[in-house]
Amino acid sequence: MDFGSLLHTISSITPDRPWGIDIPNYFWFTGSSAAAFIISSFAHVFGMKEYKPIAGFSLLLAFVLLVAAPMNLIDDLRQPGRIINFFFYGWENFPTSPMKWGVLLLMAYPLLILAEAIVLYRPYFTMKKGASYTKEQEEKDHRLGVLLGAIGIPLALSVHGYTGYILGAVHAIPLFHTPIMPILFLASAMVSGTGLLIILLPIFQKFFTDFKRIDYAMMQRLARLLAWFIVIDLVIRFFWLTFAITFNNEEKYALKLFFGENFWEVLIVDYVICLLVPMAIGFIRFFSRSLKWVLFAGVLSAIGVWIFRWNTVIGGQSIGKTTPFLLEYHPHVFGFDSILSVVSNWSLLIALIAAIMALFPWDKEMANYYTKEQ
Amino acid sequence: MPSKSRREFVKKATSLIGVSTLASTQAHALSLTNPGRDAKDARYVGAEGKRFGMVIDLRKCVGCQACTSACKSENKVPKEKFRTYVPEYELGSYPNVRKAFLPQLCNHCAEPSCVSVCPTGATFARKDGIVVVDNEICWGCGYCINACPYDKRYFNPITNVADKCTLCAHRVDHGLLPACVESCVGGARVFGDLNDPSSHVSQLLSTFPATVLKPASGTKPRVFYIALSGEIQSLPYSNGILDDAVRKREGALHKEWSSKGE
Ligand code: SF4
Ligand code: SF4
Ligand code: SF4
Repeated sequence: MDFGSLLHTISSITPDRPWGIDIPNYFWFTGSSAAAFIISSFAHVFGMKEYKPIAGFSLLLAFVLLVAAPMNLIDDLRQPGRIINFFFYGWENFPTSPMKWGVLLLMAYPLLILAEAIVLYRPYFTMKKGASYTKEQEEKDHRLGVLLGAIGIPLALSVHGYTGYILGAVHAIPLFHTPIMPILFLASAMVSGTGLLIILLPIFQKFFTDFKRIDYAMMQRLARLLAWFIVIDLVIRFFWLTFAITFNNEEKYALKLFFGENFWEVLIVDYVICLLVPMAIGFIRFFSRSLKWVLFAGVLSAIGVWIFRWNTVIGGQSIGKTTPFLLEYHPHVFGFDSILSVVSNWSLLIALIAAIMALFPWDKEMANYYTKEQ
Repeated sequence: MPSKSRREFVKKATSLIGVSTLASTQAHALSLTNPGRDAKDARYVGAEGKRFGMVIDLRKCVGCQACTSACKSENKVPKEKFRTYVPEYELGSYPNVRKAFLPQLCNHCAEPSCVSVCPTGATFARKDGIVVVDNEICWGCGYCINACPYDKRYFNPITNVADKCTLCAHRVDHGLLPACVESCVGGARVFGDLNDPSSHVSQLLSTFPATVLKPASGTKPRVFYIALSGEIQSLPYSNGILDDAVRKREGALHKEWSSKGE
């Protein structure tokens, strides 16, 4: 006998849910930062020459994203003035509270990127001061850069992986509770990070460099990379959903309910429009040769991953634990944890990008690769 | 001011600042737990050797919500928030239907998933098993609210931190019964020390088959139910039929989070 269908809840209360719109936005920021860092490491650590021209740029982007990201968290706290309590107390929960690890990672990671960026751009800073930059120093800096990059890769993976871990550890919420969550988050992060790079790179190359030329070959390369990341993302999601919805215990009913109710947002918008379409653009040469299509793919995939974060964080919390059916979320427009918070966070990101790109000579470094080629 | 006394003043002021910084760092020294527990605050230590819990005998619950309102007034629980409530269900299909009530409160779990995730140590279990929140330490991250499989935590809009049933620790510490137990008209709620074999709760548990809600969650709840029907034990994910009468009356159905199943 199927008990559930014979049960009607006549009256109950609406339970509380803690996390709002700030949290998907935060996950999107840290994820994209990790991805930008990994792409910059393609050249710095793995020596892939074809990614050299954008290595510095994406490193700076990774830094900026990670400086802006924690603001979302602070805004989501009900008592942001008590941040210090996090550092002073509660260390007995260190082994079991992924949030505890995360904040430590969140502090170490941007410092490391900053150090790497300073090492990378040291020749330009020294030359600006009029001092000479010797061959010996160059070699030393190169080695230091590789070392920092090599430490940075696991750090970048963990800084975003832990966000998935935070959710995966919550066994009370069927949509969160899977050990694959950290990997899933990393895979989708690579998609959004590449998407963001695809959007920003042509803008910066065209308007903020001396050579004022978009590197079309690079755009095509990034589109292909994006397509491959989407393949990885889809494969992981395939494993996740097929196991969770088909072979799971009781949780599968909650997931069926959730995906059934949100079929349009999740399957059509997120999977088909925001993942399959950009993947096709990246793989089909006709599209990937056209800047417009590649930009379109970048925008779609960046938005798609944001929707995925939303569907996971908000969607997961919408599933009732002791009450029937789903809850609905309407973010506030003003105040803490509101639409305005997210808009301000994006404004902060743009301001920071402008500031960092003005401080670091990324355009001069990038120009090297293009003038040499000619 | 002559220069000598000025120097004196500077000296005194610096030493004062020095001493106060030292004192404050001592007060704020890194703590495994939290300052209240370090200072052995009686509210946070609890009774040694005891293990408080509750047995709810559903055969006696009449769904009167006396506990719901007693808890609200005893603990000044803010509007729209509840530490305990009694949802009403209809079981079976016409014409074989019956009603069921399920009084729910924090289970004061032996393996509380809300405690293990707390990054500030603000929530913890006392020695007697009562799970409490130190509302001066909690930074309101909400991780515990999501981690509780029973929806038994909320943000208190007045203190702006996580809040929940305290098993009326402030009463229990003075030898009184929890408000919801004392007000229960049917005598369905029984409170006591699970470690004491002669307590009423222990006797009930050894006399009748009892069970807990969502046993699969692994949190080992310490609120037991007698005569809990299988239909509602795991609180299954069911259809969109939910009438949040309180919110409806207070006109708050479309707040930030609201139930869809109207
Ligand atoms: S019922 Fe929830 S809030 Fe209470 S102790 Fe268990 S996990 Fe924690
Ligand atoms: S809301 Fe407070 S009690 Fe709950 S996990 Fe966060 S800091 Fe701990
Ligand atoms: S024990 Fe006290 S705080 Fe807990 S539900 Fe009963 S009256 Fe409310």
